[in-house]
Amino acid sequence: MTADAPTMTAIAQPEGHAPAVGHARGGISNPILGMILFITSEVMFFSGLFAAYFATRANNHPWPPDVFKDILDPLGPIIVATIILITSSFTCQFAVWSIRRGDRRGFVRNISITFVLGIVFLLMQAFDYTILFGEGMTLGSGPFGTTYFTLTGFHGAHVFGGVLMLGVILYRGGSGQFSAKHHDAVEAVSLYWHFVDVVWILLFSILYLLP
Amino acid sequence: MSTSPRKRPASEAIVAGGVVLLLIVIVALVFWSGAGNSLYPPKPATDRAHEISNLYNIVFAIAAAIFVAVEGLIIWSVLRYRRRPTDVDLPPQTHGNNLVEVLWTTIPTVIVLFLFVISWDSLNKVDAVSSDLTKTVQINAIAGQFQWQFEYLDANGKHLATQTRPLTGDGSGGMAVPVGRPIHVTLTSHDVIHAWYVPRFLFKRDVVPGQQNHFEFTVDADEAGQTFHGQCAELCGTFHNAMHFDVVAMTGADFDAWLAKLVEQANATQPPPPSGAPILKVEAKNIAFDVKTLEVAANAPFVIDFKNDDPSSITHDVQIRQSDGTTVIQEQAAIPGGSEQNYQYNALPAGTYTFICSIHPVANMTGTLTVK
Amino acid sequence: MATHALSPAAIPAYRGGLLEWLTTTDHKKIGIMYVINSFLFFLIGGVFALLVRTELAVPGIQIFTNEHVYNEAFSIHATVMIFLFIIPMLAGLGNFSVPLMIGAPDMAFPRVNALSFWMLPLGGILLLSGFLTPGGAAAAGWTSYPPLSEKLAQSSPGPGQDLWIAALILIGTSSILGGINFLVTIFKMRAPGMTLFRMPIMVWTMLVTSVLVVMATPVITSALVMLYIDRNLGGSFFLPDQGGMAVLYQNVFWFYSHPAVYVMVLPAMGVISEVLPVFSRKPLFGYRAFIFATAGIGALGFSVWAHHMFTTGAVFLPFFSLMTFLIAVPTGVKMFNWVFTLFRGQLTFSTPLIFAIGFLTMFLIGGINGAFSASVPIDFALQDTYWVVAHLHYVLFGGSVFGMFAGIYYWFPKMTGRLLDEGLGKVHFVLMFVGFNLTFFPMHMLGIAGMPRRIADYADPSWTDWNLLATVGGFMIAASMLPFLWNVFISLRNGKVAGDDPWEGNTLEWATSSPPPPYNFDRLPEIRSERPVFDARHGLVAHGGHGGPVEEEAPKALEEGHVDNQGPGGPRDG
Repeated sequence: MTADAPTMTAIAQPEGHAPAVGHARGGISNPILGMILFITSEVMFFSGLFAAYFATRANNHPWPPDVFKDILDPLGPIIVATIILITSSFTCQFAVWSIRRGDRRGFVRNISITFVLGIVFLLMQAFDYTILFGEGMTLGSGPFGTTYFTLTGFHGAHVFGGVLMLGVILYRGGSGQFSAKHHDAVEAVSLYWHFVDVVWILLFSILYLLP
Repeated sequence: MSTSPRKRPASEAIVAGGVVLLLIVIVALVFWSGAGNSLYPPKPATDRAHEISNLYNIVFAIAAAIFVAVEGLIIWSVLRYRRRPTDVDLPPQTHGNNLVEVLWTTIPTVIVLFLFVISWDSLNKVDAVSSDLTKTVQINAIAGQFQWQFEYLDANGKHLATQTRPLTGDGSGGMAVPVGRPIHVTLTSHDVIHAWYVPRFLFKRDVVPGQQNHFEFTVDADEAGQTFHGQCAELCGTFHNAMHFDVVAMTGADFDAWLAKLVEQANATQPPPPSGAPILKVEAKNIAFDVKTLEVAANAPFVIDFKNDDPSSITHDVQIRQSDGTTVIQEQAAIPGGSEQNYQYNALPAGTYTFICSIHPVANMTGTLTVK
Repeated sequence: MATHALSPAAIPAYRGGLLEWLTTTDHKKIGIMYVINSFLFFLIGGVFALLVRTELAVPGIQIFTNEHVYNEAFSIHATVMIFLFIIPMLAGLGNFSVPLMIGAPDMAFPRVNALSFWMLPLGGILLLSGFLTPGGAAAAGWTSYPPLSEKLAQSSPGPGQDLWIAALILIGTSSILGGINFLVTIFKMRAPGMTLFRMPIMVWTMLVTSVLVVMATPVITSALVMLYIDRNLGGSFFLPDQGGMAVLYQNVFWFYSHPAVYVMVLPAMGVISEVLPVFSRKPLFGYRAFIFATAGIGALGFSVWAHHMFTTGAVFLPFFSLMTFLIAVPTGVKMFNWVFTLFRGQLTFSTPLIFAIGFLTMFLIGGINGAFSASVPIDFALQDTYWVVAHLHYVLFGGSVFGMFAGIYYWFPKMTGRLLDEGLGKVHFVLMFVGFNLTFFPMHMLGIAGMPRRIADYADPSWTDWNLLATVGGFMIAASMLPFLWNVFISLRNGKVAGDDPWEGNTLEWATSSPPPPYNFDRLPEIRSERPVFDARHGLVAHGGHGGPVEEEAPKALEEGHVDNQGPGGPRDG
């Protein structure tokens, strides 16, 4: 007699085909859910920074300060960078649609374009920074500079992370690791890339258009 | 077989009930005897403090009732429902009870809403600030690392005089207030966050750099002549624990006289130093003197040209004490940061003395004065 | 209860030696490492507490002739206890138990799980290395308010504060990754039949905790990042002289740190919710209401942060006071649910139950004294005094630590295959319970009398007696660790073999060996309620079970205390 062994029954098999081990029966896969939650945490990180921005803005008049009155020009080079990043979201989504159809070559083409556009955005951002530095606006030049460079700097860091991830799925896609049925990494990375784009649209609107 | 709850021996219930009752009696005795007074705030000394103290009593009564009821129920259950060897079958597998659950959700909601409403009402009284400041005694409390300055303003808010040292005993600041008149305090800091806290007033308010907080109070008339201890209550650095101040309550007449004297001292022009008196130079920066030893001739008055290089909210002075470091022989008015003063000292007989900042009596602001 | 002795050969061994443990991705081993690492930091944090208590026993400076070092001591004490002890300890208990309780073979992301763990000792080293730097470790409190935590002359000019920032960012990241792992595991990897409303409460509390972790922790990361930029990159977020605001930090900081206190207590509440039903032989009273109350606390927990800032003069007081009062309601609901689980049960006073009762009695006090601070005018008197120190220790020690020990005594047999000694467990409890109350109850008196917190010394001689009592209590708590550690040591070598189910448990972890095989389960019982192993033991699922969570329509047989497939003599004996 076993001590205290409760009655055990085998797990009743559901009718029809049981899913393969590690696959969900329905709904999104584990890695994609994980990415969604990760993006949620990143949204909250940016929320903290945005909250600080709005509080700082409300506490300092005029905003922008006179010395930096027209320095953030929404129609300057930054609009080009913005268009590039938005375009990259489109090409990223094309890549997702491609691989969902099993179109590996389409996938590689679109991801390559997205990857390049991402790098161009970063270079343009860096270029923009040097212009601002030249005009005396830095992290240390007062609240206006501190908040601007903190927000855009962390966004840029996230773009950089996204570019790295795009590089990884570009490599994996190029070596044939994705198919119509198995491309979780692509879905996950594309969600992240769209998130990065949405944050930029918010940043652009708040930092450049709102004042 | 198990014995159903109602059929368990009465002795168990009696023991459990007895213990619970005993605990209730002990709690009641503690309060009745006065030992429980330590769970109540000290005697309130201002109008706002009375408001808070009364509120505390109400909250405390409810808290005590809930404490006794719930702890009593836990103790009852623990003593009454011990599993006995005859308890082989399971007890009734009660999963819940809608009525009971609704009750213990709604009743606490009502209780907390009641507590919120009476608290809000008290808050409006405690935080009320006069619209016409000319009817109040206006004091600007300047907190710095690690002392308090209390700046007295006239009816229009113009600076009259600043009290830079405690009124009684040791400490790092003090303020005098008249009883029966509303005192309007503004809080200012130029360095880190501090907090103005007087336990007998049941009140504290943070002193935040870049922000001016205000509050008011009126000291009870029967507290005239009393001294209330105050202390910084927001961690502000190394000597946070030493940032004491006193609040001395005076009758209206005594206060007016005291303030007049303070203003007179502030406006008094300093007589020039006796010619030929040696001038020693001492500087204070980062809560430290720049010299550890001073030497001066015996039996002749001397001057210390004292420069305070710390921020404006930090005051220093140079006091002369016996070599034991405690007995004060000659004191000076403290000066705020960014100012300089010629301190004049009377002649001293030969010997070894201590010079010290009375506001920051720490190692870095203590030195030896050798008089030969 | 097991009625015949099992031979030690019946204990399945964990596979592998040291290298296996260092590289493992098995949630059970990782959970155990979390527990061990966290306990180590509990002892480290405790040493700092003893130093503080020794200094404060009588007036005058005795040890900390440099008061700055005293400020380091209490700052690091709290930081270690919060971020390196209680949060990861509860995450570790969850790590071990959650996959087992939902019938899963592991966590969703086992390698991320390992990464989350290893970031902790690293973070601890970073934090404590501050003591080796000129200027010492961080000394601005665990809250590190600017401007005191900024790099100004009389503030925090040394690298200790920067190391504190770096350590917390690392530890926070570990926490967030863990939270994501728990959420995906709980949502996606439950065994068939385990609907959300059949999950054990421990799993529910880990779920809500993980939501809080994922959503709140990044906000403190942003505060830390901004503070770092202020300190080292010329930033002006919090420096008033440069257009910044000191109180801004407090808002961002507490937006995380308030939900964090629920992160620190909800899993312990989950443990209690498992232990009380098992040792009362009744289900948790009000299972569904409990879940809604827990979710309610999680949600409301985001709306109360500024009650830590009532005295700043920069807060919309009525809103935060109201929400703080309201959060007492779901907390009370849970309290009543627990007490009514005991009520009319059949209680077996094994050590887990004793610690659970300790939780109930002590957490109640912490909840009650917190209500005083919810009232804003009263908070004006109590904030930043020892009253708050009393409150926080009654909820975090009286609550979370007692709950944690209940969990350790409860799951030690499952983790190791051996039972802890009951006698030593009771000695541990008595010493700790008495010591705890001696230490922290007098702090109510001290706070109400006017003793501020974070002071190296006090001048009022009337505070001496309470302080001395508190110091004696502190050393009693320290002493209580000895029977516990001795118990662990001897039980690991020679403890009674536990078998699969030493406690007659309710949940799935008791349906496998102790310790479980690497893949956790060979077979699972049918899952038809929140107590699948209970159901199987009492033959309920053989009857086809019930359609859903067992409501009051439980078969009459159960209501009358009979389970109708039992022969005379009751449940099967050996």
